[in-house]
Amino acid sequence: MPANPDDASGSDRNQDAGVRERLLELRHVSKYFGGVRALHEVDLVLNRGEVVALVGDNGAGKTTLVKVISGVEHPDSGEIAVRGETVRLDSPRTAAANGIHTVYQDLSLCDNLDAVLNLFLGQEIAGSRWRGRPLNRHRMEVEAQRVLDSLSVKIRSLSTPVGGLSGGQRQGVAICRALVSDPRLVLLDEPTAALGVSQRAEVLDLIGRLREQNRGVLVISHDLKDVQQVADRVVVMRLGAKVAEFTRGNYTSSELVAAMTGAHEAADA
Amino acid sequence: MTTATTPAPLDQTSREVSTPLTSRIVEALGGTYRSIPVLVTLAVIWLFFYSQNPAYLSFANITNLSLQIVTTAILALGVVFVLLVGEIDLSSAVLSGVCATVVANLFVNHGLPLTLAIAVGIAVGLVVVFIEAQVIIFGVPSLIVTLGGMVILQGLLLVVLPPEFTVSVGGTDYAKIVNTHLPTGVSFAVAFVGWAVYCYSRVRRQRERRGSTSSSLVVTSVVIPAVVSGIVIFGLVAVLSHGLGLPLPVLILTVMLLAASYATTQTRYGAHLYAVGGNREAAQRAGIPVSRMIIYSFLILGLCAAVAGMVDASRLLAVSNSSGSGPLMLNAIAAAVVGGTSLFGGRGSVWAALLGALVIGSINNGVQLLGLSTEVQSFATGGVLILAVAIDVVITRGSLRPNRR
Repeated sequence: MPANPDDASGSDRNQDAGVRERLLELRHVSKYFGGVRALHEVDLVLNRGEVVALVGDNGAGKTTLVKVISGVEHPDSGEIAVRGETVRLDSPRTAAANGIHTVYQDLSLCDNLDAVLNLFLGQEIAGSRWRGRPLNRHRMEVEAQRVLDSLSVKIRSLSTPVGGLSGGQRQGVAICRALVSDPRLVLLDEPTAALGVSQRAEVLDLIGRLREQNRGVLVISHDLKDVQQVADRVVVMRLGAKVAEFTRGNYTSSELVAAMTGAHEAADA
Repeated sequence: MTTATTPAPLDQTSREVSTPLTSRIVEALGGTYRSIPVLVTLAVIWLFFYSQNPAYLSFANITNLSLQIVTTAILALGVVFVLLVGEIDLSSAVLSGVCATVVANLFVNHGLPLTLAIAVGIAVGLVVVFIEAQVIIFGVPSLIVTLGGMVILQGLLLVVLPPEFTVSVGGTDYAKIVNTHLPTGVSFAVAFVGWAVYCYSRVRRQRERRGSTSSSLVVTSVVIPAVVSGIVIFGLVAVLSHGLGLPLPVLILTVMLLAASYATTQTRYGAHLYAVGGNREAAQRAGIPVSRMIIYSFLILGLCAAVAGMVDASRLLAVSNSSGSGPLMLNAIAAAVVGGTSLFGGRGSVWAALLGALVIGSINNGVQLLGLSTEVQSFATGGVLILAVAIDVVITRGSLRPNRR
């Protein structure tokens, strides 16, 4: 377990500790759907200021693992600890209360609403009950601009419906939405799928800025090139189990592919 | 990662410059200026009938028109709320008949005080739509639930009616609802209060924004809206209260529209309403109580149906087994859609109810005034409805050309 990774990008922020804060820890988490083993005894550690990529072939259990962490599915066995304390993540709201925010692959944006309302969806800044909880549009706009600026997301106007934005801008809004609640851990499900070349670069840039903000980032991706570019640590899953873990610079593409396809097991044996 | 920042803005600007004018117009019409096509349609209709018969735009006929559209507009307002969450309703017109009948029966035949009878009528409306909403949340499509509900309510209407199948309310306080007129002085005072509140809210917003990046000129954000709204408000009051004074139903409709407009555009409830209509799954994930929002929309529809039914009964001086039947339901849905509410949910404003009802009411009124046959009325109303939905499809799709299949 890389409790003290040698990568130095974020460790100077926590010099006193020497070890980065452990945001999330999964211990022997298993999940079955009927007779199908979706997750088997998965251990996973996520630290502050670190980007971890979760890779694997289709059906490797990546999505199930994300659902377990984001509170959508409950593990059949094993435990989850957030900052050292064992928790039960019953629902997406509990996960959010524990500082975990998920950006889904479909982005979960309301195309008919503008960027401000999308950023604050479900957590609007509103006034008193007797006036019918009026939105404080001004404060929301100021805050939205601050969050968008913090990740250098540029959009034409805060009041255009997000349906008219480009794919990269929509991804930017979706990631910024995660930041409105100031989470410690951001889960990104396939953030670069279905994006063009420059938009993909934009999103990878965003992930880097999340790390600079000293948050933990878990990226699920199919794209090994993106993974190698952005991840401090790569966790490889295969058939519901964690089969390998690499730290930045200590692996080659072929090693990664071998782990994903199971070739290295044959070599080990 | 290092190459990220330079290509992105370039790509963006070139894309915006090359956007063709037509698609930019389509986009603008989908947003802030959604009601412009409807207003143009309305102007064309008014000019056409005025050119045929100048009496069309006389004070008397405008007041008459406003009374004719009130029932449709109030019902359409409820329908807008249901359409905004992506559902549909077919039962509210008959429900309005049931509510009006309950009130008339309790008031005329059982001697209950009018206010109590009205309260019971509204409660009946709320209970019926609450049950419908529960079945819809259970998973039955709203089209089917409210279609079945419409048939059941037609039966219920016969149950709540006395054996002679009609209750006359002529000469009672019930009939006075529609015949009450606010004296011109009072109407102007009410209008002034409303206008002052509006101006105050603009000033407050401007003060809040002062010094921030999004602050705008006092002239554009306070003075111009205040002057324009003042001309519109006092002009309308002057026209409508010409003669006997401002009709009470018009005031009821205005108050309901203003309350609905505030709730949908300024409050958290409104944001959640549009979110549920725009992307139900996303709303759910964001922690918005989707089922509760659907129930709220139907409860508002129930309230609107009850009020519309009472106004209609008061205007017709009776309730009978034909209350709420006829073209009322289709006119209400058509009004909501013609006014710019999307059938697919999440798009449209509460003012659509008024504008749509005005378009349909103006056609009907004009056709009757010119003594044309009812076929013409049907052709025109149906044509306008299809045209309005076609416009909505173009706006939703963002392009004039059909999708390739």
